[in-house]
Amino acid sequence: MLLAARLAAGDDYALAEVFDRFAPDVYRAAFLVLRNDAAAQDIVQDVFVELWRHPDRYDPALGTFPTYLTVIARRRAVDVVRSEVRRVVRQERSCRTGAADSSPSPSEEVIASHVADAVRAAVRLLPDSQRRIVELAYFCGLTFREAANVAGIPEGTAKSRVRLALAKLEAMLDASLLESS
Amino acid sequence: MTGDAGGQALPAGLRERVLSASLQARAAGRPEPAPAEISPAEAFSRTADAFHFTLGLLSEGQWAAHALRDLDVQGLVGHLTGVEEDVHRSLTGDGDPEVAAASHVGSTQLAADRQAGRPAALTRAEWRRAADRTIELVRTADPSAEVAVHGMRFPLGLLLIIRALEIWVHENDIREAVGLPPSAPEPSTLSLMTGAAANLLPQAAIRASLDDPVQVHLVLTGPGGGTWDVAVGQSPSAPAAVTIVADAVGFCRLAANRITGAELDPYITGDQDRATAVLAAASALALD
Repeated sequence: MLLAARLAAGDDYALAEVFDRFAPDVYRAAFLVLRNDAAAQDIVQDVFVELWRHPDRYDPALGTFPTYLTVIARRRAVDVVRSEVRRVVRQERSCRTGAADSSPSPSEEVIASHVADAVRAAVRLLPDSQRRIVELAYFCGLTFREAANVAGIPEGTAKSRVRLALAKLEAMLDASLLESS
Repeated sequence: MTGDAGGQALPAGLRERVLSASLQARAAGRPEPAPAEISPAEAFSRTADAFHFTLGLLSEGQWAAHALRDLDVQGLVGHLTGVEEDVHRSLTGDGDPEVAAASHVGSTQLAADRQAGRPAALTRAEWRRAADRTIELVRTADPSAEVAVHGMRFPLGLLLIIRALEIWVHENDIREAVGLPPSAPEPSTLSLMTGAAANLLPQAAIRASLDDPVQVHLVLTGPGGGTWDVAVGQSPSAPAAVTIVADAVGFCRLAANRITGAELDPYITGDQDRATAVLAAASALALD
C-alpha cells in the first residue's frame, strides 16, 4: 500500500525497490509464456514503465503487488503470442497467394517456433474433418478450392470447416498458453 | 539466453534499462495523477473561498468558541483581516518598511480586538473584503516581485502560497474549535503548498539552527503530494541521507506547527535521528 502511494508520489526510490523485489517474478511469468529472453525482457520493461506511468491503475483491493504485476506480464506475453499467431497465419496465406512478405527478426523466429509447436499440438486435437482441411490448406499450401477437391467436399464447406477450426484453435491456444504460464 | 527461467537472476543490464525507460516516460518527483496546475493567486482565491464557506457554517454562538492563543473564532478571523491589511500595505508600498518587520501577531492584534462585540456577519464580511482586495492587488502584479511582510521576504507567488496555507490552517483551527471535521485543500492548491513546504526546508533548518548536513529524499503521499530531494544543514561535513515518506496534508500541518513529527507518523529510512531533527525543524518558519 505504501509502495503504491510512493509510486504515485513520483518516488523513484520506490520504483527501484519495486523492481528489485518483483522483477524476477515478472520476468519469469513472461518467459514461461514466450520462452524467449529478449521478448521476456521487453515485457518486463513494458510492465514497469506502465506501472510507473499509471500507478493509480493498481487497486490493492484486487490483489497484491506481485500478483498484479505478474498477471499483467502474462497478459502482455499472451498478447505477443496471439499477435505472432496472427502474423504466422497471415504469412501462410500470403505465401499461398504469392504475396511478398518481410523477413522476421531472430527473436520473432524463436517466438514463431514456439508458437508453431503450440499450433501443431492444437491442430491434432481438432475433429478429423476439420483437421484434414486445415492441414491441406495451411500445412500443404493448397488453396481452399484445391483442398476441397482433395477432401471431396464443396469449397464452401471447406471454408466453413476452416472457420470453425480456427475459432477452436484460438480458444485452445489461449487455454494452453495460460496454463503454461 | 533461452531455456529455463527458473533462476532468480535477471539478465544483465535489464534493471538499468527498465529504470531509465520508466524515468523517461515520467520524470521522478512528479505525482501521478498530477493535479491541474494553477497559479498561486488562484490557490489563494480558492482557499479564501473555502474559508469563507466554513465561516458560513457557523452559528452565532460558535463565533465565541476559543480558537487559538487568546483568540475566539471571531478574533482569529479578525487576525486574518489584519494580515490581509498588512499585505495590502506591503503590496501598495504604503507603510513599508514598517510592515516588513512587523510582528505577525502583534501587528494584527488591533484587527483581532476590534471584532469583540460585533455581529459575526460583519466580521465575516470585513474579512471577505480584505481577501478580495488582496486578490485584486495581485491580479496584475508580477509573481516574482519580492514582497516583505511580517519578517518574511519572498516572491509574491510564494507569499500567496504561504498565505493560502495560513488561511487553511486557521480554517482548521476554527473547525476544531467548533467540532467540525477537518478539511484538506483541493489537490491543485495542496500541490503548491507541499512544494513550498518542501522547498523551504533548508531555510527552516537554518532558522532551527540545524547544522548537520542531511540529504533529504522527501516523499509526500496522497493527492497534491510529490517527491523532492532537498539538501539541508550548513556544516561542510559529509551529509547523511534520509528518506522521509509522509502524508502530504500531514506534512503541511507539520510545517504550520499544528502537529509534531511523531504525530505525522512518517516512514523513515536512513539516519533516524537526522530525519527526526529535519522534521522538528520543518515548523521553524510557521507563523501563528
